[in-house]
Amino acid sequence: MKQAFIDSLKKLMEKDNKVIVITADMGFTVFEKIQKKYPKRFFNTGITEQASISFAAGLALSGYKVYFYAQAPFISMRCLEQVRLDITYNHLDVKLIGSNSGFSLNQYGVSHFGLEDIAIMMTLPKMTIFNPADSMEMTKSMEESYKIKGPVYIRMTKTGNQTIHKKNIIINDPILMDKGNDGLLLVSGGLLDRAIQIIAFLKEESINLTLYSCPLIKPINNNLISTISKFSNIFTLEEHTVIGGVGSTIANLIIDNNIKAKLTKFALPDDYLHVAGTIDYLLDESGLSVEGVVGKIKKSIRKL
Amino acid sequence: MLTDKEIIHLTKLSKEIRKQILKMIVKANASHIAPSFSIVELLVYLYEKVLRIDPKKPDDPDRDKFILSKGWAVSGLYSILAHKGFFDKKLLNSYCENGSKMIGMTTINKIPGIEASTGSIGHGLPIAAGMAMALKLNKINQRVYVIIGDGECDEGSIWETALIASHHKLNNLIAIIDYNKWQSFGRTNEVLNLEPLKSKWQAFNWQVIEINGHNFNEIESAINKSYLSKNKPIMIIAHTIKGKGLSIIEDDNDYHYKTPRIQELIVAKREGLI
Repeated sequence: MKQAFIDSLKKLMEKDNKVIVITADMGFTVFEKIQKKYPKRFFNTGITEQASISFAAGLALSGYKVYFYAQAPFISMRCLEQVRLDITYNHLDVKLIGSNSGFSLNQYGVSHFGLEDIAIMMTLPKMTIFNPADSMEMTKSMEESYKIKGPVYIRMTKTGNQTIHKKNIIINDPILMDKGNDGLLLVSGGLLDRAIQIIAFLKEESINLTLYSCPLIKPINNNLISTISKFSNIFTLEEHTVIGGVGSTIANLIIDNNIKAKLTKFALPDDYLHVAGTIDYLLDESGLSVEGVVGKIKKSIRKL
Repeated sequence: MLTDKEIIHLTKLSKEIRKQILKMIVKANASHIAPSFSIVELLVYLYEKVLRIDPKKPDDPDRDKFILSKGWAVSGLYSILAHKGFFDKKLLNSYCENGSKMIGMTTINKIPGIEASTGSIGHGLPIAAGMAMALKLNKINQRVYVIIGDGECDEGSIWETALIASHHKLNNLIAIIDYNKWQSFGRTNEVLNLEPLKSKWQAFNWQVIEINGHNFNEIESAINKSYLSKNKPIMIIAHTIKGKGLSIIEDDNDYHYKTPRIQELIVAKREGLI
């Protein structure tokens, strides 16, 4: 995913000399080549998220397309007011790349976890949000972000450092991964590989779910609504707090569209972890172990 | 040095702008008359003498830019823009009315001449720095001017920008502090002391010029000096009086909030502002 991001960014900078990259002193081993090749269009503005976002707004107001890169918790919280007032209020052409979201920085604890970034970005009008699951989804998110003349948030996670899709995808649509009639599993982001494992385990128990990967979270795609309206048992899976993420979004869609379905949200609990561990350990601790999710889905389906 | 004729013109225009501000604020039952009055001479001088802008071409890429970081003084900005012909003066009558795009905090809202939406403090200076950087990248020889409030200097983003702008040698960025020495809850030096303000900005590698912000000759001299800066952004510390121009509200922080009413308007009439 990281490499896909760098490659995409390089392509965009090559293609369009109005593309500017700003980092608030993040991106060690990410930006070195870009910095060397485009010294005038690459800015490391130092550890100044707030001023940097406004600075990016000034460049965007002057006709530049700015890609701003920082760690997800810092870009979504430390400078949220600048994002809201300087970027989304003016609907500026600034792309926010939230790196190392979710549990990516597993050893560093809550200060460096991106638990709430989607929920926060969701509240900003006309902010497009991509939560790519793998390198292909990342590349497509970047390509699409370039076409959008307005603010975009792209969420990167280490769980997304994988290549899953073999065929071409349409990034704005839910991407069909598997078909089954017993229910629907919607996954957004890097937990796609867990979702695939979950589906495989369930198959062994003769439970067949339809699986979609949903990289686009906002705006809502109509195909997503028509997809969920076909199922009466829906599950969501995400590396994000259960409040305000994909599960919440689907819950709202179910109610707003009068869909008769039972929803089970697999997400991070509304709580803080106070332990260290590998990403897998932290996900398991948060109730998202493959076995745990499989068990809960089985229960839910057999009850029906 | 300005000629007597020029000074008479600028002084007369400043009075007209104050009259307009008073009219708008009273009609809208709005706040912020005093912080608007404190920057009138600065606005008038910039728009009459400095800014290379054409009201007929408000989006001309080769224009100077002006950002009002202290967005609550917008009645003054709207007034001078209308005077310059950026839009019809009638629009000023809608200030803060139902459905009006003339919001009481500087907002782009497709209003010709408004370059940035501000109001939350500490945003205008970094936006201006980004614009100054864009001009440098485009090799356009224009400049960005920005007025910030003294209370704004409490914000971290101001000092982040102090670092960014000097690091990138943005000598096309001219910031002016409206140093009226009041912030929302009291005297700046009592709430959170800014002094020594000049040496702070100097230490951040800015060229600092200190003036009386109501004296046109001093404003002119500061702008002239700003052109000499080869590689530093410029900070003009303009000592001003909050509420300047209407004796009953001068240096009285109540008028950050209070709308002038009967008593104040009697004085305003006597002093030729109505």
